[in-house]
Amino acid sequence: MGTYYIKEARGIRKVSPVVVVAAAATPEALFTISALPTVPRTLIVRKIMAYSNVGNCTIELATAVGFPAGIIPNLYVVNLFDAEWNEDEIPEIEVNETITIESDILGVQVQIEVEVIGS
Amino acid sequence: MPTLPMLHTYKAGPIEQVVMPGETVGIWVNKVYEFYKVTYIEGILRSDPVTIDLGATTVAAPQTAITQLTLLQMPSEEFAQLRMEVLDDVQVAVYQGRADQRHKLFTVATVLNRSQPLFDPCAHITEMYEYEDNYIFLQATNLTSYPVTQARVVFWGYRYVVDPLADQYSWRKQVLPPNWTRIPATAHL
Repeated sequence: MGTYYIKEARGIRKVSPVVVVAAAATPEALFTISALPTVPRTLIVRKIMAYSNVGNCTIELATAVGFPAGIIPNLYVVNLFDAEWNEDEIPEIEVNETITIESDILGVQVQIEVEVIGS
Repeated sequence: MPTLPMLHTYKAGPIEQVVMPGETVGIWVNKVYEFYKVTYIEGILRSDPVTIDLGATTVAAPQTAITQLTLLQMPSEEFAQLRMEVLDDVQVAVYQGRADQRHKLFTVATVLNRSQPLFDPCAHITEMYEYEDNYIFLQATNLTSYPVTQARVVFWGYRYVVDPLADQYSWRKQVLPPNWTRIPATAHL
């Protein structure tokens, strides 16, 4: 029963756009949380994909207020390799803010899949 | 051979209506059953308008106020059958009547929390009935070691429009309909 529940969806899956980091060391919106629901939704990052052809780089997923230092430890993207982290490898952190991406060099591509909790 | 649907309150599995239109219900309010004929049924959808955020809690102030769920008020001569899920890591005490806690034993009252779907995925044990403005109240408590910014509870179920049968049947006089379904719409026993 426990295993069944762990695999059961808590919310709906959505994806961010593919963001090409425009400026080094500057957070920018990756998945923007909707302000429309009366009761705010929350987000759990389920998958991260990144690709760099501009050099090895370190990326940071964060939020503006709750987790400005990162919602998970920084990730290292190796130049010219595709990098993927799926939900078995990511702590199940739940946030109620827009998730941002920051990189130490510009030009890296990042996309995340999130599970949206709420109604 | 066709079989009749087995409809009853607190039924395990995805929520189902407890009666069919045209059937008789006895709604338990004010310590008596009051009898009604169901004339219309429709779904109450699990959605933003029937989601409530009881508010933020901290370690120092772990409890929210006991909150009256005015968003679940039913119109006159209507009642709702509702199930609920707690979306955040808080425990939620359920009242019907601000001072009457539901799900209680002799010395303690039980509460809902995030682990409820582990053993009750369909939430049937959370099923509640609200007649007109016989309000449900909720209070969230943060049992964690950190602040929780939201305490969300979401509802879904059915809406029943009823016609009173008070001129035909009376619980006090024990003049009862031949067949009727008991609707426990209060914690006031």
